[in-house]
Amino acid sequence: MKKSIALLLVIALLSSAAVFAGGEKEGAKVAGPKIGFMGPMTGDNANYGVLCSQAVKLAVDQFNAKGGIDGIPVTLIIEDSEGNVEKGLSAIEKLSSSDKIVGLIGPVFTGVSFAVGERCQNEGLVMISPSATHKDITAIGDYVFRTVVSDGLQGEVAGRYFSEVLGYKTMGVLYAKNDYSQGLYEGMTASFEGAGGKVIIAETCQVGDKDFKTQLTKIRAANPDAIYIPNYTAEMAQILEQASQLGITIPFVSCDGFSNPDIYNLAGDFTDGVVYVGPAQVAESDAYKQFVADYTKSFGVGPDSFATNAYDGTNLMLAALTKIYRETGKFDRKTLRDAIAATKDYPGVTGLVNFAENGDLIAYQGIYKVEGTTPRYLGAYTVVGGKLTKVE
Amino acid sequence: MGSVSEFFQHLMNGLTLGGIYALIALGYTMVYGILKFINFAHGDILMVGAYIGLFVFDGLRGDAPLGVWTFTAFLIAMLVSMAGCGVLGMVIERVAYKPLRKATRLAPLLSAIGVSFILSNSAAWMFGTQSRKLAYPFHNDSIVVGGVVITPHQILILAVSFIMMIVLKLFIDNTRMGKAMRATSLDQDTARLMGIDVNQVISLTFAIGSALAAVGGMLIALDFKVYPTMGTMTGLKAFVAAVVGGIGNITGAMVGGILLGILETFGVAIFGIPQGLKDTIAFGILIIILLVKPEGLLGKAEKEKV
Repeated sequence: MKKSIALLLVIALLSSAAVFAGGEKEGAKVAGPKIGFMGPMTGDNANYGVLCSQAVKLAVDQFNAKGGIDGIPVTLIIEDSEGNVEKGLSAIEKLSSSDKIVGLIGPVFTGVSFAVGERCQNEGLVMISPSATHKDITAIGDYVFRTVVSDGLQGEVAGRYFSEVLGYKTMGVLYAKNDYSQGLYEGMTASFEGAGGKVIIAETCQVGDKDFKTQLTKIRAANPDAIYIPNYTAEMAQILEQASQLGITIPFVSCDGFSNPDIYNLAGDFTDGVVYVGPAQVAESDAYKQFVADYTKSFGVGPDSFATNAYDGTNLMLAALTKIYRETGKFDRKTLRDAIAATKDYPGVTGLVNFAENGDLIAYQGIYKVEGTTPRYLGAYTVVGGKLTKVE
Repeated sequence: MGSVSEFFQHLMNGLTLGGIYALIALGYTMVYGILKFINFAHGDILMVGAYIGLFVFDGLRGDAPLGVWTFTAFLIAMLVSMAGCGVLGMVIERVAYKPLRKATRLAPLLSAIGVSFILSNSAAWMFGTQSRKLAYPFHNDSIVVGGVVITPHQILILAVSFIMMIVLKLFIDNTRMGKAMRATSLDQDTARLMGIDVNQVISLTFAIGSALAAVGGMLIALDFKVYPTMGTMTGLKAFVAAVVGGIGNITGAMVGGILLGILETFGVAIFGIPQGLKDTIAFGILIIILLVKPEGLLGKAEKEKV
């Protein structure tokens, strides 16, 4: 059943925009369900919202062009949050109470998503954010989903991998005082200690620092099994070189910042042996290429990664709507949430989409080991229910 | 790893960081000593020196393995860089400072800050903002003595700053040109009456100061990489070092630099000052020195002439 819907959607995707008009006319006979989109459509960050809204619109238009839900078209209502919490709350008020949408795509920003997510949860309205990456977004409740990788995953995979696969018992960390680096440090620590390891020393630096000898000398004295350096390339290169100068032979482990090839120009051979967690390697599918082509043709610009996530989220919601209509004959918010939660191997343009129990996108992180100055791909990993799992 | 060797390692780290500050502070203090003028573009001339050195060295070296040739190539690159920066220093003086020599003391200072921005932004525009690696021209394998690690490069930095300090002192105290510099420093008009070509002396002061910056730039770049703003923070710290030691005093620059490096390292490693406040240590010391002993540790208090 789900497979065939999926297939239908892929076909819908591949279809040309020329069929549009007919679809809309046909659909006008029956009042269909409404879905909402919310994001910054004006203001400094309008670009993010506009790109995502276009992806949602494209998905809905293509869906209706293919006949909608057994002839019933889906209506899309776009609201502007201006990337601002107050505007977001009044927008969700309108969408939920007066427009009576059954599901929401968005919000785009983390801050707005926290507030709007709370409201959606209370109203029993399902929401799928394409771009709110903060790890705690899905902790709001069971009506909150996202089609973007949580920031928490990288740290989680890192900690589990370092402990379970590499067998490290103790860890030293040298991280920078910014959201990115500190977030990874905290995520890795929680996961590493959850797996039975212990972070015995955590030193900080500032982005732009060049001299790390003080911190490295302290870490050397603590003598951990490995040193985690979730930083940017310029800092990591300095750290690796100065560690070598200080005679530190403790292995280094790192983050996605290491996937920037500039590290090999700056640090040279000092990168040898570093293991890092980076993006999983995903083959670009034909579906993805088709999406980019359709999007570019309709809007004159290409989609960004969040817009791609928004497209998958919308199509997934539309497929769930079709499913619940065929099973129950109506569009109920709770049934829709359950159908979305039950999503299994939905073939999106970003690959197979699955949700974890908390509503997070089940995504993968790649593990790499540097040999000389060449990273070798060791495979993709994810954490399911606190267990590190290798993805084949 | 015993805590005693950890202490000495921190001391060594501080000493070598201080060597870097001293190396730059020498250039600051020399120009100030002669002209009573703080060349705020000094750190950026250092950056230009590092870029010249990088390009010449990479060009000469090619793919040659480490050995006599790489070291020779490094020395050649350093000479080219010193010459280039010397000329640059003279040009900057001629264009940006000389017209303001009779203006208020604030004017050339502001002009220097302008030159500093022009240099670093031009470098960012021409070479991009990314860091570039200046490869070591020699084997930089660590030497371990009783659990304390030091690299040949760190020894080199300390040695070069020390030699530079001695040579500068000898030059200013014992040569004809040095005497002319001191005369210019005391009173430009009287020096001119004594037959000293003051313009030439000032040009030469800038040339030497900038050539010293080139040496510092290349040696620092080996450790800290080459990038357009490399001279900004390190330059500022070196300026603090020069003031702490007594600006205008060559031995003072060395002492101030080493002291600053050690205090910064110990402040974080031993006295538990948070890492994020490391940079404030230098400026905190600056404020204390200005309040308690404004002429600096080794500076002589000058009586205002009537």
